[in-house]
Amino acid sequence: MSAPAASSATQVPARGRTAGRGATFARVVASEWTKLTSLRSSFLLAAATVAVSWALTYVSANASSVDPGFDPLSSLTSGLVLSPLGLMILGVLVGTGEFSTGTFRSTFTAVPRRLPVLAAQVVVTAAFALVVALLAVGAAVLGIVPAAGSREINLDLTGDGTPLVLAGMTLYLAGMALFGLAVGALLRHSARAVVTAVTVTLVLPIVLMLASDLSTDPMAPAESGPPPAEAVVNTIVTLLPSGAGSLMTTPDISGIEGAPDLGPWGGGAVLGAWILVPLAGAAVRLRARDVT
Amino acid sequence: MIEVESLTKRYGTVRAVDELSFTAHSGAVTGFLGPNGAGKSTTMRVVVGLERPTSGTATVDGRRYADLAAPLHAVGVMLDARSVHPGRTAFRHLLAQARTHGISRKRVDEVIGMTGLESVAGRRAGTFSLGMGQRLGIAGALLGDPGTLILDEPVNGLDPDGVLWVRRLVRELADEGRTVLLSSHLMHELALCADRVVIIGKGRLLADAPVQEIIDRSTGAASLEDAYLQLTADSVQYRGRSADDSATTPTAGSTR
Ligand SMILES: Nc1ncnc2c1ncn2[C@@H]1O[C@H](COP(=O)(O)OP(=O)(O)OP(=O)(O)O)[C@@H](O)[C@H]1O
Ligand SMILES: [Mg+2]
Repeated sequence: MSAPAASSATQVPARGRTAGRGATFARVVASEWTKLTSLRSSFLLAAATVAVSWALTYVSANASSVDPGFDPLSSLTSGLVLSPLGLMILGVLVGTGEFSTGTFRSTFTAVPRRLPVLAAQVVVTAAFALVVALLAVGAAVLGIVPAAGSREINLDLTGDGTPLVLAGMTLYLAGMALFGLAVGALLRHSARAVVTAVTVTLVLPIVLMLASDLSTDPMAPAESGPPPAEAVVNTIVTLLPSGAGSLMTTPDISGIEGAPDLGPWGGGAVLGAWILVPLAGAAVRLRARDVT
Repeated sequence: MIEVESLTKRYGTVRAVDELSFTAHSGAVTGFLGPNGAGKSTTMRVVVGLERPTSGTATVDGRRYADLAAPLHAVGVMLDARSVHPGRTAFRHLLAQARTHGISRKRVDEVIGMTGLESVAGRRAGTFSLGMGQRLGIAGALLGDPGTLILDEPVNGLDPDGVLWVRRLVRELADEGRTVLLSSHLMHELALCADRVVIIGKGRLLADAPVQEIIDRSTGAASLEDAYLQLTADSVQYRGRSADDSATTPTAGSTR
């Protein structure tokens, strides 16, 4: 338009070309980390996870400390009924956050290949959740200390498979964050994804257990093994994310009655499938369809 | 340079964009006009790769958007001010965007300064007014110092000072040799800052010419607004009525 315009006209494209290598995977991970750690909800859910883990374990250990054969270590996993929920919802929010808010427009115009964003979300969610899981497991250990003290029992966390239990707890908790992420990334809608994830992990097992309790006749003679209906219910419950994850924390218990004995590794593999299958669906949806 | 060639985008049976072709050249501000629902935003979403064309192509500097090596440095995009997580501060939002391309914090502070958001950069974006959100969107588009800018109604919600600022900004950017494609419904505004306008209606191209030529070609048009109203008269899909009209003749001007 004006005279100086012509002189500077040639500089611009050059500036564009010389700048960086664009959206490398490491950069996308850094970006997703900034996003995850810049939301209050992430830290609130992390704090809730740790607090629930401590509180439930403390209460449960105290309650059973009056039993004659009290073993404080057996209370370690009692927080896991609820503590995975916080991390699971944290994962859901990472997965849905882009779409429930419109952030996806700025995200996917910066990273048009899209899949690196999902992969980066897996990386940062896993890292964040692992730290929180370690804190939550630490809190569970602190939770059993008073009860152990009251019975003058020395806590030994190194013996008798306890390290495996602690590792299993950590992985179960972190895995549930990834399960939440996968469901969130697939469904893209926070309320829908939270309801789905909570239903699958918490509501379904309870409903199934209640239904099978009601349908079995307590007066029937206990023949060899549980009745078929109960076996089916137990199998399903074991194969749900929470059931499979719990197996990771009970290395020396051979599953529940009638359910296949998967062991901690098998449980981990089933939980892994609960993460990978919806994640694959999310990846296909992200890659093949318009983002709107 | 943005090239759109025989672009069609269908949503089910709706042809949002229909065999549209036009070019936005470097060193110029191209105004993108059309009635509500004409397909302007849809065209922009396809250009930046958020949506796939049903047929046809859209390229920036000769490449499909998805094939750009460093999109933020090539194209600055502002499609919708609500492209931000309401729980994140403006600074963190921009920083997350910047980090995808290894852009420095210094540059983030720079664009915050350019858009006048210094005093609220630490506030959560959910608390922003329409105009503040719009400024944040423009800040994001400027982050990578891109050679091409695609701005969907950038002055929507801006105060008079902001409108003037955007007008000067896009002029400067184009004068530096960049490509600016900007949609707007404000004809007076566009007449002041655009070199060329592309007018579409119901997804189809109605006109593509320099502002003055558009005015000259229309019979008896004294302004871009007159010419625009003539050109789009048959393409307006959603037409308001005066309160009196709608009370007495409810079917008049029906768009169905
Ligand atoms: N995701 C979608 N699904 C279905 N229809 C859509 C979708 N996005 C846009 N449309 C339709 O495509 C047409 C063009 O919409 P678009 O938003 O591109 O118009 P526009 O020119 O930007 O209008 P405005 O001036 O109101 O912003 C409209 O009929 C709209 O309803
Ligand atoms: Mg629009």
